[in-house]
Amino acid sequence: MNPFILSILLLSLGLGTTLTFASSHWLLAWMGLEISTLAIIPLMSQHHHPRAVEATTKYFITQAAAAALILFASTTNAWITGQWDINFDLHFFPASMLTMALALKMGLAPVHFWLPEVLQGLDLTTGLILSTWQKLAPFILMCQIMPVNSSLITFLGVTSTLVGGWGGLNQTQLRKILAYSSIAHLGWMILVMQFNQQLALLALIIYIPMTFSTFMIFKTNSSTTVNTLAASWAKTPALTAITPMILLSLGGLPPLSGFMPKWMILQELTKQDIPLTASIAALSALLSLYFYLRVSYAMTLTISPNNLNATTPWRLQTTASTLPLAISATISAMLLPLAPATLALLSL
Amino acid sequence: MHPTTLMYTSSLLLMFAVLLYPLLVTFTSLPLNNDWASSHAKTAVKSAFLISLAPLSLFLSTGMEAVTSSWTWMVTTTLDITLSFKFDHYSIIFIPIALYVTWSILEFATWYMHSDPLMNRFFKYLLTFLVAMLILVSANNLFQLFIGWEGVGIMSFLLIGWWHGRADANTAALQAVLYNRVGDIGLILGMAWLATNVNSWDIQQMFILSKDLDMTLPLLGLILAATGKSAQFGLHPWLPAAMEGPTPVSALLHSSTMVVAGIFLLIRMSPLMENNQTALTLCLCLGALTTMFTATCALTQNDIKKIVAFSTSSQLGLMMVTIGLNQPQLAFLHICTHAFFKAMLFLCSGSVIHSLNDEQDIRKMGGLHHLAPFTSSCLTVGSLALTGAPFLAGFFSKDAIIEALNTSHVNAWALTLTLIATSFTAIYSLRVIFFVTMGTPRFLPLSPINENNPAVINPLKRLAWGSIFGGLLVMLNINLFKTPVLTMPAELKLAALAVSVLGLLTALELATLTSKQFKVTPLRTPHHFSTSLGFVPAIIHRQIPQLSLLLGQKIASQMVDQTWLEKTGPKAIANATTPLASATSNMQQGLIKTYLTLFLMTLVLVTLISAT
Repeated sequence: MNPFILSILLLSLGLGTTLTFASSHWLLAWMGLEISTLAIIPLMSQHHHPRAVEATTKYFITQAAAAALILFASTTNAWITGQWDINFDLHFFPASMLTMALALKMGLAPVHFWLPEVLQGLDLTTGLILSTWQKLAPFILMCQIMPVNSSLITFLGVTSTLVGGWGGLNQTQLRKILAYSSIAHLGWMILVMQFNQQLALLALIIYIPMTFSTFMIFKTNSSTTVNTLAASWAKTPALTAITPMILLSLGGLPPLSGFMPKWMILQELTKQDIPLTASIAALSALLSLYFYLRVSYAMTLTISPNNLNATTPWRLQTTASTLPLAISATISAMLLPLAPATLALLSL
Repeated sequence: MHPTTLMYTSSLLLMFAVLLYPLLVTFTSLPLNNDWASSHAKTAVKSAFLISLAPLSLFLSTGMEAVTSSWTWMVTTTLDITLSFKFDHYSIIFIPIALYVTWSILEFATWYMHSDPLMNRFFKYLLTFLVAMLILVSANNLFQLFIGWEGVGIMSFLLIGWWHGRADANTAALQAVLYNRVGDIGLILGMAWLATNVNSWDIQQMFILSKDLDMTLPLLGLILAATGKSAQFGLHPWLPAAMEGPTPVSALLHSSTMVVAGIFLLIRMSPLMENNQTALTLCLCLGALTTMFTATCALTQNDIKKIVAFSTSSQLGLMMVTIGLNQPQLAFLHICTHAFFKAMLFLCSGSVIHSLNDEQDIRKMGGLHHLAPFTSSCLTVGSLALTGAPFLAGFFSKDAIIEALNTSHVNAWALTLTLIATSFTAIYSLRVIFFVTMGTPRFLPLSPINENNPAVINPLKRLAWGSIFGGLLVMLNINLFKTPVLTMPAELKLAALAVSVLGLLTALELATLTSKQFKVTPLRTPHHFSTSLGFVPAIIHRQIPQLSLLLGQKIASQMVDQTWLEKTGPKAIANATTPLASATSNMQQGLIKTYLTLFLMTLVLVTLISAT
């Protein structure tokens, strides 16, 4: 893509999210969301092939619907309470509408249906942006409208974790796997958001490097299915060895960093006296863990046969930059011992 | 210490020393000389018998009983276990008799097992058994008795399976162990109950402390122990099967000493049973059933040893009946007299078997009256004593028992069964004598019939003296604790004799039928019942292992492997999760309208619910 256009789009993307972050007026928040949506649309369809266009269209329709509902809800709230400030508590009626709208924006179950298909239609980089950056703005808004309708939030959370687990079991496409993984992680974040927003933020902050790492790994191997991933042992042996760490960190396995948010969240839920919810969430993490394990099994734990020529790529140097992946992989695998520092950092 | 007690304890100590010395000699690695068996083992038993006559004579002259506690073995906070020996009239009379019989059997065994290369080991086992039996008999606390009990059980196993190359012998040994073990459960139950409720295993303490307690449970346990050890009905199949062992083993263990251990236990514990009607009735009925059943089974056996084994079982049932009548001393008397003639019957059978080149089937014997006169005479004497011919050994005990049975308030059914069994005793005894000694020979011409060995003659002679005079001697020298009923109608008085004579005449009649055809189509069912031993072994020995094996299969293979580790574990999770996973991923139909509709519906629902 033309570098100028690319920079406009990326900067607009950044602008939109930052605007939402910085705003205390609902209209401005909505504007930020719209800007980021509009900015990413061309990025999605840059390759112009039908699947990408389909993904773009689906994304646009759902995000537009969600944004419209956000506008409607904030207007209704302004009508009922007489003010537009985000910091003031919402009236219950626009609150539930707003929650649903933000759920649709983020991709929480039961309104998650667009996420796997949209992510599948995108190339890995754009998918990465969708999975990580685009979650920030609605997430912040969600944090700010808490506490609202506890049962709804818990329902969204538990359903998301379960759907994220079950949905990912039947997938061979890596992007769809990551979509369901995103749904599951967002479910965890939502669960704890009503009690302790810092922990939700922690979950997001740990989730972003992990997803970043996985997308970069897949991009390095230029693989979009589990089967093509099986050939990565010959391309990047070191990365192949590290990948299970990242994937298991996504699965929430100690002693990797992915364990940290899950642990804290379970502790918080138990303190809030909803052990059943905590148990269900923990058990659903097992489902997700299974398909992460399956991917790492296909990639690392087995050496797939290949013809002779395909066993040589690792000998050649790569021109791609490996620094971002190195940093994010380290963060996503080894941050657990720094848990107290991380938690202290987030006690804003 | 009082001189009498000193005499008792020193005799017992000397006896044990004399009996243990040959055993300890075998533990050194020196090879034994060839006649170790006769020079050491038999001599030891003979000396022990002579030593045991000293306390016997002292007891007969002074009537003094003693209890000696030697050494405190274990001290717990609640229960003390000491080594203590009881010299009451039961043990003082039984020990000499047991040693006398064992001496005769060992001397016989030097002839019988002469060609066995491991004869010294055989004698070692017999000596060990004897020591265990003496421990059992002289024990004053249940722990020591249990030591003796288990000891005789183990030695019984080793001796029955002496010819361990024979599969039947191994099976029989295993049967003995298993059935005895079931009985041991009862003994341990009794011991545990007594330890927890009466807090003592000492016989004297138990008797005093259990005066007001309901003793039904421990007594049932002890009766179960006696059922196992003394082959009462229910746990009886091991005794006929134990005839797989050599004849000296059958003579010693399974007629005189080991099998009476159960009855002996009940005799020892009889003060506990005196007032418990349930236990007494159980003993009575169980004994009556046993004696009748085994006598029925003995009627059609063709193996000479099996007939004598069933006869033993029948007499044990009779002893149990006596205990059920609350007459433990008469049971003890019967134990003593029974030891003599039963051991002699076994030795005679052994002599006959060896003479006919190891032939045990009575249908292939005959005419030994002329060819082995001494053996046949002893056989006759023993059988007469068994049936209770007047004034022989068995008469004094058996007749006293039948009289007591007839004159007490007793279950009529038990009475009937016992009397019928008494007549059956006469029938099968006559059958043995008829087939073995009378008629014409039915064995091969070149049979090595030779009874001229003093090792055969002397034991048989000694036991014959015992069978003739033993009852009289014992009866004259003891005082019966319970006064017997001395006046009764003449029919009752003569009932035992009449019934035996009736049986004898019937048997004579039946015996002569062997060469005639009485009925064209004979009634076979009772014969089948008797020959198949009441179908008890056929059913029980198959059912119980089958159930155990099935249970094992069900637990290990089906329950653990297939169910827990497959169906309810991994496969259940897989089967539960797969439909859910397919449903979740199949919901993605790709139609944005559906998605948005779902969104709308959820929104409406949420709004409505939150509005309420």
